[in-house]
Amino acid sequence: MSMHHVEKITGVGDPQCFEGEAGKPRFKEGDRVRIKDRPDIFYTRCQMFTRGAIGEVAVVTHESVPPEDEAWENEQAPAEWFYIVRFRMQDLWGDYPSTYPNDTLQTEFSERWLEPA
Amino acid sequence: MAEEHSHKAAPMVDEVSDYEVLETAVRELAIEKGLFSAEDHRRFAEYAHSLGPLPAARLVAKAWKDPEFKKLALEDGIKASLEVGVDWINDAPTGFGTPSDYTDLRVLEDTPQVKHVVVCTLCSCYPRPILGHSPEWYRTPNYRRRLVRWPRQVLSEFGLQLPADMDIRVEDSNQKCRFLVLPMQPEGTEDWSEEELAQIVTRDCMIGVALPHPDRKADDPRPVHPAVHPVEHHDH
Amino acid sequence: MAASIRQEIQQHIEQVGYLQPAVHQPVHAPFPDEISHDFYRALLRSDHDVGGQPDVPIPWQEKEEEQWELNTYVTCEVLAWRGVWNAEERRRRMNADLGQTQYLGHPYYGRWLISAARVMVDKQHATLNELIDKIDEVKARYESGA
Repeated sequence: MSMHHVEKITGVGDPQCFEGEAGKPRFKEGDRVRIKDRPDIFYTRCQMFTRGAIGEVAVVTHESVPPEDEAWENEQAPAEWFYIVRFRMQDLWGDYPSTYPNDTLQTEFSERWLEPA
Repeated sequence: MAEEHSHKAAPMVDEVSDYEVLETAVRELAIEKGLFSAEDHRRFAEYAHSLGPLPAARLVAKAWKDPEFKKLALEDGIKASLEVGVDWINDAPTGFGTPSDYTDLRVLEDTPQVKHVVVCTLCSCYPRPILGHSPEWYRTPNYRRRLVRWPRQVLSEFGLQLPADMDIRVEDSNQKCRFLVLPMQPEGTEDWSEEELAQIVTRDCMIGVALPHPDRKADDPRPVHPAVHPVEHHDH
Repeated sequence: MAASIRQEIQQHIEQVGYLQPAVHQPVHAPFPDEISHDFYRALLRSDHDVGGQPDVPIPWQEKEEEQWELNTYVTCEVLAWRGVWNAEERRRRMNADLGQTQYLGHPYYGRWLISAARVMVDKQHATLNELIDKIDEVKARYESGA
């Protein structure tokens, strides 16, 4: 974690320690967004099954260094806003039974994975 | 007793596994090299051992009894946790919380329309400081593969059959937020005290694979794979 | 355009199901012109990304924790407490870096443990030979009944 990061979060918490670092969030609750299918290499926390799908921002959560950078201890990398995005199951899976049209799934993305839909 | 998926016969009771040898080696080497002290290890182990689902059950029960507290729980899970005795930032000996669980708890409110259930498809992220340690099945590739695509089938395997006019909302916990399901209060418990209510809010209810029931104070029994050299048993 | 990405993703998910634990094809280390875009993608995927892959119902089990598993969990958290790594690095190492075969082959806490051993060597807190000698020493100790 590097002792620098440990010092930063002691008594403060993580992700609280990143508050104010990412400026203004690009998206807000209710925005329709599409998940970008960025190149796969080495590591990601953007699940394959969400790539290219369109959903709605359910919650604007917090600011943090994104996991792809934090995973190499690049805690000095810029922080981004994170968002919980909600999808209809029907939009994620071609074979989801139409008997349940309102079933949803939501999961969290850093801002760089989202584009307006 | 041979397990279905074992690749060799069950070891003798006094045989030491490759993992046990490596674990000892790693811990001793780390201490020798000054990466941490034996005292650090003991203190964190003591904290880890203290964790269980009771504070989360009290949070749910309190939310059922007190609409103002429920509002707080839905707005700020970390602040609400303080009122059931869990300080996500200061309880752990680290002084910043647990490295793996972070400090952003979100409470997911079930409604008559929507049933929540939680999974971490990428690993096994779980709100340890308030709910304790995750069950084995939650960590399996199987649960992680299937819940996000066939949630009703998986829930029915846990004994939860949802009516067709109720919607499922799967929460895939993949970043720093941690999630706790706030299930609906069961019928017939409207006059119960907070203590009585907490007793029927089991761990599985707060993951979302079970619903609280006035007659049930423990999760449904499941097969338990025994350990060869188990942790010394403590009651939580 | 969006539809074809979704189709590609769906195909990709179906395809990776066939990759574990080894690649079953007649030639290993193929010529580069024999690699399709789909196959390249499948090779470079993050192994932990299993959501939506087909699987069959299994009995849901609890497990009694081994002492070494609890020790491993504590070691990993204490390594982060003392600044050796952070939890996200731990996840990258144990859930993506190990490779498909080890990812599915080891027990859950086996991956935590191996990754703790690896980070110590990678970050030069110990040499690999020191780790090897220590494993040898511990093994001998257990075998002699100490």
